[in-house]
Amino acid sequence: MHIPDGFLSPQTYLPAAALALGAWAWAARGLRERLDETLLPRLAMLTALAYGLGLVMLPLPGGTSGHALGVALLALVFGLRLAFLAYSGVLLLQALLFGAGGLTALPVNALALGLVGGATAIALHRLLRRCNETAAVAVAAWCSVVVPGALVALVLGLQPLIARRPDGAPLFFPFGAEITLPAVLIPHAFIGVGEAALTLLVWRYARMRKWLS
Amino acid sequence: MAFMNARRWLYLYLAVLPAPTFIHDPRLLGLGLLLAVAASGAGRWRILRRSLLAILAFNLSVSLGVVLVGLWRGQVDTDWLLLANLRVLLMVHLGFWFVARVRLLDALAGWPTATLVATLALGQARGFDRMLRDFRLAFASRNIARPRWRDRRRHAGAQAIALLDKAQAQSTEVALAMRSRGAFDVTADA
Repeated sequence: MHIPDGFLSPQTYLPAAALALGAWAWAARGLRERLDETLLPRLAMLTALAYGLGLVMLPLPGGTSGHALGVALLALVFGLRLAFLAYSGVLLLQALLFGAGGLTALPVNALALGLVGGATAIALHRLLRRCNETAAVAVAAWCSVVVPGALVALVLGLQPLIARRPDGAPLFFPFGAEITLPAVLIPHAFIGVGEAALTLLVWRYARMRKWLS
Repeated sequence: MAFMNARRWLYLYLAVLPAPTFIHDPRLLGLGLLLAVAASGAGRWRILRRSLLAILAFNLSVSLGVVLVGLWRGQVDTDWLLLANLRVLLMVHLGFWFVARVRLLDALAGWPTATLVATLALGQARGFDRMLRDFRLAFASRNIARPRWRDRRRHAGAQAIALLDKAQAQSTEVALAMRSRGAFDVTADA
């Protein structure tokens, strides 16, 4: 669900960049101490998986794309800070190597998909795991797609209000939230089911390999 | 341009990239695109083609939406169509031009943590790609007739587990090699 370059106004991406820089600094604190030869290969492997998942995308008329994220997986296995950093790296590589997303849209994409998606997954998993572990992982993964989707749709939908010509014509993204929200959320409700199944599959693999604490 | 190393190209790219978002005249954006294409060197048409293909699906879907809404309202906003498509094309072209000119790992060379993660992620992504191709070819060679869905499902499951195991083994090797070269030593630049 990346937003491509050129659809966000500077009034949106500049404050988002300031926020994202702070979040990246927070996430990177003590990173080198935490990364060792045991954790790093697992992180690289699941990051590459997230990277691959993000490349199989379906353009949506709401101005973004539909694809699985893999961010719930990263967050549940490695925690929020590492997941956010790793997913930001995934978005950076996809932007530079495939033109998917973009550098001006990177802060919004990273905050929505990496930080909010990861935080949603962790919070819901913690809340629900006492009832049923499998259901908790599935719900966390589904929401980690849908909640960032709503956020991305809202940011896009705000563009016609934020940046327009004196005659009211939009300068960046042309559709309001009344179009972007259903256009993004309806397909992502289905994509979230696939994300939940995939997350469960890899979650079980991680548990089998005793990666989870 | 001998004084331009990978890091300086990165800074230049980061400085120039936001410019199209401050320009709202399609003629200026068109001129910017022409200049960028002209300056892209011998590979300019390949970069332009790649940029067009990268934005095609997204921009086409949004542009079609704008055209349909415009037709319904009785006025299509051609200015916006030109402005948005030229802006996106210019920004993506700048990105591909940068990547074609500069090795990403060289540009990140001053940031050890970023280099470390990018090296592993890029290596993994390429490894995944190679393994998937091997599996696909092996599966095709074992099936003379069209495989049943049950076989495909079983193959996909086995492939997923093998992929994850192989990927972990591969990145463990890389991580151990990096350790032996001091990549995990905590230094002042961490």
